Amino acid sequence: MNRKKFLSSIIASSAAIPALGSQNVFEEDESSKPILIPKYLKPGDIIGITCPAGFITDKEIQSAVQQMQNWGFNIKIGDTVNKRDFTFGGTDEERTKDFQQMLDDDSVKAIVCARGGYGSVRIIDKLNFAKFERRPKWIIGFSDITVIHSHLNRNFNIASVHSKMCNSFPDDWNNAEQIQIDSILSIKKALTGEKMKYDVGAGANNKEGIAEGQLIGGNLKTIESLTGSRSDIKTAGKILFVEDTGEYLYSIDRMFWNLKRTDKLSHLKGLIIGGFKAKPDDPGEEFGKTLYDIVLEKIKEYDYPVCFDFPVGHQKSNFALKCGVKHKLTIQADSVTLIEIR
Amino acid sequence: MIRIPPYLQPEDTIGIVCPAGYMTLEKAQTAIDRLKEWGYKIKIGKTLGSNSANYFSGTDDERLNDFQQMLNDDEVKAIFCARGGYGIGRIIEQIDFGKFKQNPKWVIGFSDVTVLHSHIHSNYKTATLHAHMASAFNDEGYKNEFVQSVKDVLEGKKIKYECAIGELNRKGEAVGELVGGNLSLLVHLVGSSSDIKTKGKILFLEDVGEYLYNIDRMFYQLKRSGKLDRLAGLIVGGFTEMKDTERPFGKTVYEIIHDMVKEFDYPVCFGFPVSHGKENYALKVGAGYKLKVGKKRVTLEE
Repeated sequence: MNRKKFLSSIIASSAAIPALGSQNVFEEDESSKPILIPKYLKPGDIIGITCPAGFITDKEIQSAVQQMQNWGFNIKIGDTVNKRDFTFGGTDEERTKDFQQMLDDDSVKAIVCARGGYGSVRIIDKLNFAKFERRPKWIIGFSDITVIHSHLNRNFNIASVHSKMCNSFPDDWNNAEQIQIDSILSIKKALTGEKMKYDVGAGANNKEGIAEGQLIGGNLKTIESLTGSRSDIKTAGKILFVEDTGEYLYSIDRMFWNLKRTDKLSHLKGLIIGGFKAKPDDPGEEFGKTLYDIVLEKIKEYDYPVCFDFPVGHQKSNFALKCGVKHKLTIQADSVTLIEIR
Repeated sequence: MIRIPPYLQPEDTIGIVCPAGYMTLEKAQTAIDRLKEWGYKIKIGKTLGSNSANYFSGTDDERLNDFQQMLNDDEVKAIFCARGGYGIGRIIEQIDFGKFKQNPKWVIGFSDVTVLHSHIHSNYKTATLHAHMASAFNDEGYKNEFVQSVKDVLEGKKIKYECAIGELNRKGEAVGELVGGNLSLLVHLVGSSSDIKTKGKILFLEDVGEYLYNIDRMFYQLKRSGKLDRLAGLIVGGFTEMKDTERPFGKTVYEIIHDMVKEFDYPVCFGFPVSHGKENYALKVGAGYKLKVGKKRVTLEE
């Protein structure tokens, strides 16, 4: 991208911003307005599959394609599927173009990201959401796709679905674990407009209480990496969920400090901690605190409810969550429920 | 205008602390001996060679108290962090800089100590010293020019650094306040009260042990948070022990950085001796510097 184009895209997307560089420059914030819910899908609707980040082969999306066809949808496979530029599903230009086409094609009613990896942030500022804003559609994915969820929430106030992607559909549906099947089926429920309701087990470290608010969140490392950018989420008055995988405990600690020090924990309605498969400490470098310690010490001065081990994350139990949509979180000694509010 | 703490005089006292990770006294012994030989008295804080059993050199309170005591002790003219690791971010907001504001003193270190450099730069406009820590003195490391540069800076000598030409360098001259440090820490601080402003400044960056895709992501964060577009100049130090994913990223770390700033026109130099390796010159964060990236040589002088 040349300098001129870069500048004009910044100006276009953030008009009335006096100066870049300070932390409060991105004042134009859509996230306090009522959320826009894309149309739910009907049988026969088309779902597009694209790769905004890592690459995937044709073969690897087959079971997802078949399953979604079984659900009654038609599938449009984007040009980036089976395309590869090193770790990416095509060059930045190819991934931008494919995603853009899916955004602008009126016949495509939902966009499923084939997989995460890394790369969404490289194209997010190149995408034109003008048509999408007028006619929102569901965008589905997690992990690196947190960039897109955050960007949509912050800039367009449009709901999206945080869930498993094509690479997580079981090859052999009959021999898959029930939890994996249930996770996949929750995507269908979310897309077809079923009211989401999750009843998960109680946890000894949970903080009891009831919270109502917009659900927002995703991969913690990705959320941190968006801080200070125009895709940075606002969390005040919301229920925040976070998950991550493969990070050292010290790094998880540092990320929670980032949330705290950027004021993302102080005005929450509730906090949902998903899966955090931490990387074991190196010998002699024992961190000495558990995930529970790490989280609870950051929020000890707040009284909102918190639950741990919610089934969201890089794991088999990873249920579809509607980002931007209002939910009620009820945490009691013996139960945790998360229910969509209409 | 930035404030420069008084340079050290013979017999001045340097306090040594571990505000983050644990370190044994033995590992810091050579540094202690050398600092004494340089003519300074040494005050050893409780967090160096503590009896901590875990990663940290002490609890948050212990690390905070030790650092606070060194800050408030008028006798201590410089605080030398024995090592980095992780942990300053956990105590930074509790440190009281009230006395430091009246009587600034040098705070020395790098890596996790970037949190202190950034916090002090942004909030107290006082220069700090990004430089080698205790372990760099070991195995005769104290003889090299990089450790020696710590001595020179503390004595108030003005140093002109010179380094080899990098293939991807962009020529030019820049004058401005020098800011920077460890990339991971700098992006981690974005949006917090320790975040630095970079407009009109010379930014230096280094990192260690990161995945290439993560370096790319961190540079996107710098860029998207408005930290790369109005620099006076960019100094890219060592990015050592880089890791790649199973599916290769396809660019070297310097190519990643080069691509990220190609739309701007300020001078950029690659391979400046600031890093987690041996090559790590003492740099005064906040002080005014002139960077010249030429055809035959690169110089950085106050």
